[in-house]
Amino acid sequence: MRGASRHSPAGLRLGTSPTIDPPMPNFAVARLQRSIANWIISAAPPGETPIWGEELSRQRLSYLEALSLMALVTVASFAISRHLTPIDVVMFYVLAVVIAAVRWGRGPATCSAVAGAFAFDFFVIPPLMNFAITDIGYLITMVSMLAVALIVSALVAEVREQAETARTNAAYVEAVYAIAQALAETGSQDQIVKVFARHVVETFHWPVLLALPVRGGLATQFRSPEFAYDDAEWAAAVWAYEVGQPAGRGTERFPEVRGHYLPLRTAWGIKGVLAAQVGEAVHPRLAARQYRVLEAFATRAALALGRAELEQKAHEAQLLEETDRLQKALLNSISHNLRTPLATVTGTLRSLLEDTAILDESTRQEMLINAEEQATRLNRLVGNLLDMSRLEAGAVRVKPEPCDIQDVVGAALEQLGEAARCRPIRLRLPAHPLLVNLDFVLVTQVLVNLVDNALKYSADDRPIEIQVRETDGQVEVEVIDHGEGIPQEHLEKAFERFYRCGRSDGGTGAGLGLSICKGFVEAHGGRIRVRRGAEGGTTVAFTIPMTADAERHSESEDERTRVTSTRG
Amino acid sequence: MSERGLRVLAVDDERPIRRFLCSLLSSRGYTVYEAETGREAVEQARISGPDVIILDLGLPDIGGVEVTRCLREWTQTPIIVLSVREGESDKVEALDAGADDYLTKPFSPGELMARIRAALRRAAGLEKGSVFTAGDLTVDLAAREVRIGDRPVQLTPTEYTLLKVLVSHAGRIMTHAQLVQAVWRGIHYEDALHILRVNVSNLRHKLEQDASRPRYITTDPGVGYRLRTEHVAAAGDSGSS
Repeated sequence: MRGASRHSPAGLRLGTSPTIDPPMPNFAVARLQRSIANWIISAAPPGETPIWGEELSRQRLSYLEALSLMALVTVASFAISRHLTPIDVVMFYVLAVVIAAVRWGRGPATCSAVAGAFAFDFFVIPPLMNFAITDIGYLITMVSMLAVALIVSALVAEVREQAETARTNAAYVEAVYAIAQALAETGSQDQIVKVFARHVVETFHWPVLLALPVRGGLATQFRSPEFAYDDAEWAAAVWAYEVGQPAGRGTERFPEVRGHYLPLRTAWGIKGVLAAQVGEAVHPRLAARQYRVLEAFATRAALALGRAELEQKAHEAQLLEETDRLQKALLNSISHNLRTPLATVTGTLRSLLEDTAILDESTRQEMLINAEEQATRLNRLVGNLLDMSRLEAGAVRVKPEPCDIQDVVGAALEQLGEAARCRPIRLRLPAHPLLVNLDFVLVTQVLVNLVDNALKYSADDRPIEIQVRETDGQVEVEVIDHGEGIPQEHLEKAFERFYRCGRSDGGTGAGLGLSICKGFVEAHGGRIRVRRGAEGGTTVAFTIPMTADAERHSESEDERTRVTSTRG
Repeated sequence: MSERGLRVLAVDDERPIRRFLCSLLSSRGYTVYEAETGREAVEQARISGPDVIILDLGLPDIGGVEVTRCLREWTQTPIIVLSVREGESDKVEALDAGADDYLTKPFSPGELMARIRAALRRAAGLEKGSVFTAGDLTVDLAAREVRIGDRPVQLTPTEYTLLKVLVSHAGRIMTHAQLVQAVWRGIHYEDALHILRVNVSNLRHKLEQDASRPRYITTDPGVGYRLRTEHVAAAGDSGSS
């Protein structure tokens, strides 16, 4: 059995705080009256508060206290009995019984009334120290005293119980309200379970269990450590979930198990099961009240879970729509960008096969060169699509090793081949070899994409600048072109997939290059930015931390989210 | 050097690639054997004893890396590996397992022929002379002398050792691990890699006209370094794209 005091928050520990404090004139008698009244009314032991639990030892103590009070009255009466008549003393006994009724309830009051009657007989009514009653008048006095004491104590106890019930009702209404309010601020199912479990443990004093459906089955989400748990209990839980009816103790199904199982019912079906194990010793009537409280909790939880599910569905629908939109863009872009070069290559080949007679040597040569260029373009596009899908699948593994930045730049220019060789490219590199821990292949690819863009989007006679700098623990690489540049309003979207800054014309890009660069740079824990130059042109700058243990970035879950988040 | 009559084993599970290799090589006078799987490749290599093997890495049964290991147990026949752009680690693995060179698909016929010729020359031991020249670069291994044109170049002992290793495998791709093993044996790999990068950078500053666009010692991203023998004079080389 659990100690009620352990789990009662101060505000809910019924009757323990002197809350009755009406404004009164501030003089001593009034204060004394008030403090006596408070003592009488307030110190109701939690054992008598049916909603929040019982304690047998407390109850025994209250009987003992009631009897002690009676003993005190008897000793006092005995001491002054020679100055007073027994009739005068009777009122003290009645008072003691009333106090016992108010303070400790019906049982102790009845007990003390009977004990008081005997004590009155034994110690007060002559002959003293004897149960014999010689005067019939005293017999009537004693019997009426007992009757009055019993009736008054019954009435007082009833009033007290009503007050108690009202107070506990108010307390659990408050608790349910608090849960409802806390749940209103939660979003996901996990949060709901967490908040709900915390509130229930704080306010409800019996071990509880919360089980929610997980992939078709039912799984425990929260369980008080004291919740006794075996196959029979679980069978009741599953039955309550599947049938949607309460099960377990206090119901017709599985009455032999210890827990009371309530389905979390919403308009959209059963969202789980809430259960409590009210102590075996608790009277069924009191247990039933506990179950009603549990039911109120269950309703709140069901509402919150239902709402969370709807929100989740709405979110999924939105994601699906977004994915759908992206997929359409992807298909459009791919079909356009794949078919264009393919058409050239196929056309050239067919023409060479069929029209051999009418083609002169120079035409053939021109067609072949063109087809070769288009095939190269196709290869690059396939490479980009592969990179993109590796990024999206979170399959980009950064394999960092010490690399000389100058070597990276050289390798990128080498990969660009002829295109980079016939254009003026100005390099500004550190004089000494600058070794940075990075993935050579990925960063080379970033540079290839950036320089390729710079070459494509600036006139043939304009120089391209590549600048490498070391700044506070980072290496910064800038690729600068002097072309038309990206319009200011498009800069933000430059890293989005399939975004081509309004160029739908003859350019050969699919709008993938920059978003791949972003993915690769961020996989290194770096940043990439694009800006307009003072006289037009575009500068793309990326930084990579020099000391960063890039392995961490490639391995951690958090990085994976970061890499895949470049989708949007 | 006569290429006619030389035997080539082409291993690829894709029929179009084998057909392409067949017509390309046959037209240049090679005899071409084909294999579709790794096991077939090992068997065919035993039966036909080819002069050079072109090996695709993505085979359906045992991968190309494993095939390379199997072959290297009993033959030093040059192996040129075919791979895709993303397969750096496979390439490196195959090279470390003993493959001589690699080509990234799609590749040009010219590149393939050049790689085959270089591999054959190395296998025939035709480049074991003590003087190596490529473009303006002359390395006299007997005299421990390095010159650019007529200008002698001063190298540190480590730089010279590194250059010597590259020269003795001229034209061939050397993986980082192979270079570290040859020059910095016994040093922790990460540290050695660091030293390797610095020394390559220094060598380039001393040998190349423009260290950021090297002509002699070129980088294969993610794989290793190569001392160019062909194409050096002709600036218009179309690299692998």
